[in-house]
Amino acid sequence: MSFKIATIADAEAAAGFALAGVQDVHIHERKEETLAKLDELLASKDVGIVFITYRVADELGFEFKRRIRAKKLLPVVLRIPDKTGWVPKVDELQEIIRRTVGAEIIVKGGS
Amino acid sequence: MAKAIGIAPTRMELLKLRQRVTLAQKGHDLLREKMDALVIEFFEIVRKIRVVRTKTMQQLSSAYRSLSTCFAVQGTIETYQAAKEVKKGIEVDISTRHVMGILVPVIEAKPVERHALARGYGVYATSSALDEASREFEKALGDLIKLAELEEGAREIALELEKTKRRVNALEHVILPNLKSMVKFISMRLDEMERENFSRLKRIKAMLEERE
Amino acid sequence: MSTDRIIQFELARLNAHLPGQRITLKDALSSSNPQVVAKDGSKHKFERMELEYISKIVHADDWDKLRLPILIAVNPKLGRGAAEISGEVEVKVISQILGKERRDQEIVIYRPEIAVVRAKLPTTTQYFFMVG
Repeated sequence: MSFKIATIADAEAAAGFALAGVQDVHIHERKEETLAKLDELLASKDVGIVFITYRVADELGFEFKRRIRAKKLLPVVLRIPDKTGWVPKVDELQEIIRRTVGAEIIVKGGS
Repeated sequence: MAKAIGIAPTRMELLKLRQRVTLAQKGHDLLREKMDALVIEFFEIVRKIRVVRTKTMQQLSSAYRSLSTCFAVQGTIETYQAAKEVKKGIEVDISTRHVMGILVPVIEAKPVERHALARGYGVYATSSALDEASREFEKALGDLIKLAELEEGAREIALELEKTKRRVNALEHVILPNLKSMVKFISMRLDEMERENFSRLKRIKAMLEERE
Repeated sequence: MSTDRIIQFELARLNAHLPGQRITLKDALSSSNPQVVAKDGSKHKFERMELEYISKIVHADDWDKLRLPILIAVNPKLGRGAAEISGEVEVKVISQILGKERRDQEIVIYRPEIAVVRAKLPTTTQYFFMVG
């Protein structure tokens, strides 16, 4: 089945994704607006992937985490770095690995 | 203890309890196999993620750089304008595959790289900086789509793995020991009752013999 | 007892991912969208590259004999970490992947080998947990 891609990011990253052909780009300005947009995307039947920058996701904080925990299989939500390359100190995947396998296995990969 | 649990110390109850132990043991062994299998799946997908993440982050960096260049060469406003005007509508094909009780996405990018004419910037079609930036982001998008598929898959598998692990632990450390100790208690109690019964019968017999 | 119900529920769920009907390699290769449907209606897609890899190992005459997905049968009686592959053609495919020369109706493979098989054929193999 065919699905669209959406992006939530700062203006520059949004421009980049737009140039690549992504239709639905939301430039983050205010928390409430962005959360509303995220809810819209999560409820949509047409959107398959949502790319959101680490920075914006971090700013949305717990509200973001809560929605991710509660969401269905689609859309897939992936956090990506913006042009500053900022990533949170705790790597989510690393955390999952530590919890499930109970050992420190380093996930390398520029993240 | 039997009174506290509300199970009468009868042979029938002992039999039922033993059946429950067998069921719990079977459940434990099978779920542990499922857990082991999920660990295999998880490690394989993490291995893939490591590879794709490195590649993706490099490509994304490159894309952001070329966008900066484009702002410098082409002008910020012009770049944003082109971003607005460019032809859009990228789509992905998403299907699913099963990994033991959970569904994991399979995502395929529909051909992403478009050449300059198809992009349709209009007036800005001749800018090579714009072309470069678009191309770099198109490539990054392709990588990101793959990464999205893998990371979502990893997340689903991890969740199922955690759930399964909890069940296995509950069976191994709580349910089975409980059931087994109940079996032991009732078994002992039944033996005790049988001994009491036996000695009572002996006393009665002795009393009857005395009367004669 | 509610714990019994939970156990029964989890056991029933163990094989929920398996399809009601498997399809032959032949049909899968000729289909434009090779997939199987699980009992709950959810779809499982076969990766074309895996199908092509298998088709090179299996003689064309046997394409209609091989049913997909190939089942990795887990039976606790075999011991932890062991699984069984059944079927002459299936055994041939798995043996090839593991670099073995086996022409049996059944073989038992162990955890590291299972990992190799799953990495090579993630969509055309599936675990089957023997509950009965």
